[in-house]
Amino acid sequence: MALRAAVLRHIQVPVQTLTATGSKPLPRWSLGASLRLFSSHDDHLTKEEVIDRVLDVVKSFPKVDPSKVTPDVHFQKDLGLDSLDNVEIVMALEEEFKLEIPDKEADNIDSCNLAIEYIYNHPMAG
Amino acid sequence: MSTSKGKKLSGMQKQVLSLYRGFLRAARSKPTEDRRQIESIVSAEFQRNSKQVDRKNFLYIEYLLRRGKKQLDQLKSPDTMGLSAFNVSSSKKQNAKT
Repeated sequence: MALRAAVLRHIQVPVQTLTATGSKPLPRWSLGASLRLFSSHDDHLTKEEVIDRVLDVVKSFPKVDPSKVTPDVHFQKDLGLDSLDNVEIVMALEEEFKLEIPDKEADNIDSCNLAIEYIYNHPMAG
Repeated sequence: MSTSKGKKLSGMQKQVLSLYRGFLRAARSKPTEDRRQIESIVSAEFQRNSKQVDRKNFLYIEYLLRRGKKQLDQLKSPDTMGLSAFNVSSSKKQNAKT
């Protein structure tokens, strides 16, 4: 008897929790909403927005003459920067778009065009 | 040896840039005021060495890289607030002259 009661109680517990979660649609709904927010390919940054913000970051770099900055400039050849400045610009872009760019790829980004392409194609750029 | 003039980076240049990036990343985790100070010291130090150190003096650059990595490890510790204790400028000037 005591055993049966114990077993019954034991079985009831999972059933109750199941129905309890099943009857609450809110958590599932909010989970779906947040997931959609993270995989944001549909509401991704537009190319124009990426270009504008990349150019703004480069223009605000202290050693850069803002009037020279266009989407086609090469950081070192056209703006007179060195490889250390290049690192700083790429790091500033990381912060602007909330990204972390690995060393290997960061070393290759040496122009506005490459930066724009990289960020535009990055799924996490925000 | 003289590949540094082209756009392809040498292995050693990549190491230096990676170290520089590491310093700037570590600085991000510090409070704003400390961060600015660290950034300006680190930036000045790398810029100065990039002008003063002979690009072919590999032994000395390797030494600087090793020392920089140690300093970076120290900086990464959450207890480290800034770089004031490094005294880099005075020790480096002596080295650069020899």
